[in-house]
Amino acid sequence: MWLLGQLRWWLLFALGMSLLPLFISPGTLRIFIFANFLAMFAMSWDILSGRTGYISFGHPFLIGIAGYTTAMLTYHLNWPLYITIPTAVVTTMIGGTLFFLPALRIRGTYFALVTLAFMELMYHSMQVVQPKLTGGTRGLSGLPTLVSGAVPNYYLSFLVMFAIGVGLWLLIRTRLGIALSAIRMDEDAVRSSGLNTTRLKLFAFMVSAMVAGIAGALYTHYLGSIAPRGIFEINFLFTILVAALLGGAGTIIGPIIGAYFLTFLLELLRPYIPGAGRYLIYGVIALVLYYYVPKGLYSLFERLRERFFRPRPDPQSD
Amino acid sequence: MTDLLEVRDLTRTFGGLRAVNGLSFHVGEGETVGLIGPNGAGKTTVFNLIMNELRPDSGEIFFKGEAISRYPTHERVKLGIARTYQVPRPFAEMTVGENIRVGMLPDNLWKMVTEEAEEALETEIGRSVGFNNHQIAQRPSELAMGDLRRLELARTLAVQPSLLLLDEVFAGLTLGEIDQISELLVERKKHGLTYVMVSHDLRSMAPLVDRVIAISFGEIITEGTFNEVVNNKTVQEAYLGQ
Repeated sequence: MWLLGQLRWWLLFALGMSLLPLFISPGTLRIFIFANFLAMFAMSWDILSGRTGYISFGHPFLIGIAGYTTAMLTYHLNWPLYITIPTAVVTTMIGGTLFFLPALRIRGTYFALVTLAFMELMYHSMQVVQPKLTGGTRGLSGLPTLVSGAVPNYYLSFLVMFAIGVGLWLLIRTRLGIALSAIRMDEDAVRSSGLNTTRLKLFAFMVSAMVAGIAGALYTHYLGSIAPRGIFEINFLFTILVAALLGGAGTIIGPIIGAYFLTFLLELLRPYIPGAGRYLIYGVIALVLYYYVPKGLYSLFERLRERFFRPRPDPQSD
Repeated sequence: MTDLLEVRDLTRTFGGLRAVNGLSFHVGEGETVGLIGPNGAGKTTVFNLIMNELRPDSGEIFFKGEAISRYPTHERVKLGIARTYQVPRPFAEMTVGENIRVGMLPDNLWKMVTEEAEEALETEIGRSVGFNNHQIAQRPSELAMGDLRRLELARTLAVQPSLLLLDEVFAGLTLGEIDQISELLVERKKHGLTYVMVSHDLRSMAPLVDRVIAISFGEIITEGTFNEVVNNKTVQEAYLGQ
């Protein structure tokens, strides 16, 4: 009962989203599918960077590990997806940890730069190292899909995004969430409180890598193809970051809001400003929002919720 | 008196400067010690070395008879050493209660996730340093300097230390706030808390310590009772630069 009370907004959101295919066209649903995937990527970034303050520029690296693992296993070995996708998630967690573990000992800009270097490394490696396996610059295409059609893909992407969102949201509401936030505010003071911050950061990273792995593998099979230029591109990285920051970093719900907002903003601008020009408009809108709502769109929802649904003060407390 | 802390021949240099130079001292269980010295004497560096926030070039630190020089900071805290900072370092986006909660967190991920926060105990710790319920729900930005010092103290007490390192707890406080903190420390001392206190406010320190160690340029000049140390000619020269 307590859990249902906590989750009432999530359940309302799920109800609304599950009815959506009844009212909108498959074309619009496809935009929602992209928004769902972007939300997963942004939440993956948020649980590590939004919470602990360790800004990762390397999330496409993690998404790429998952995408390429499942793509190569299905393309070359014809393994079924129910094996390749979990394998890809585990590979992302292990591979990502091996690369990122040394980086978790450095802070601030250095951490961000090291993670960016990993992304670049992966971009070039995928093109020149064993191109027969990776497909080189053209990547791999003709990959099997989990489901076909806009509606099944919409439900699949939403279901996974929703499960990840609820899971992470519940996780950050525990004392672990407090500990991770404290690292962002003052890591030395957390250590001085008797907590092993390396273990905490590693845990946040593993969860982040797991989510990136799930999302990356599913995204690859939704598209049916993977290429280095699509994954390890700076625009893809910035879209993830902007979605998380615009929505409200460190909140899990914020990145979902940010992902939907951003995806639809870009789509709405498409008829009026074709090509890269719309990125300019979206950049301006993002800047304006950062200026006026620095804590993200989620903070607006919070303010509204506090205004209209503020719990009545308990007369028993002094 | 059994030694709770023993520092043996501790040395730390920063470039050409020997901030701590072969320093040795001990603190007995239940004892309260003042560490004094002019600016740059190495007092805070000693605390940083005891907490492993800085690594010593040489020397050993023993706590409850155990060599802890290889232990990371969080392990030393778990053994029972905790510190406050010269400049209070609260978790700015958290309430006073949540700040105290960080100090109470178990160093165990599973317990962090599965066990509920002990809000009643958080409030009790908050109240024990003089916060009321309203203040416990406030954020550090809404607090005065004296409250921030008390918050620092509350978060440190939440880890249930057996040795507390207090770095300039009276700095920037009004006389009333100094009295509040002093009363709190006297109360804790009665309950057997051991602490080492660094302060420039010697008058406030006087009734709170059993013994004083004076250092200059990272070396001990003298040690003894408060009156013995402050009346020592070398100590006076070190302070006045004569």
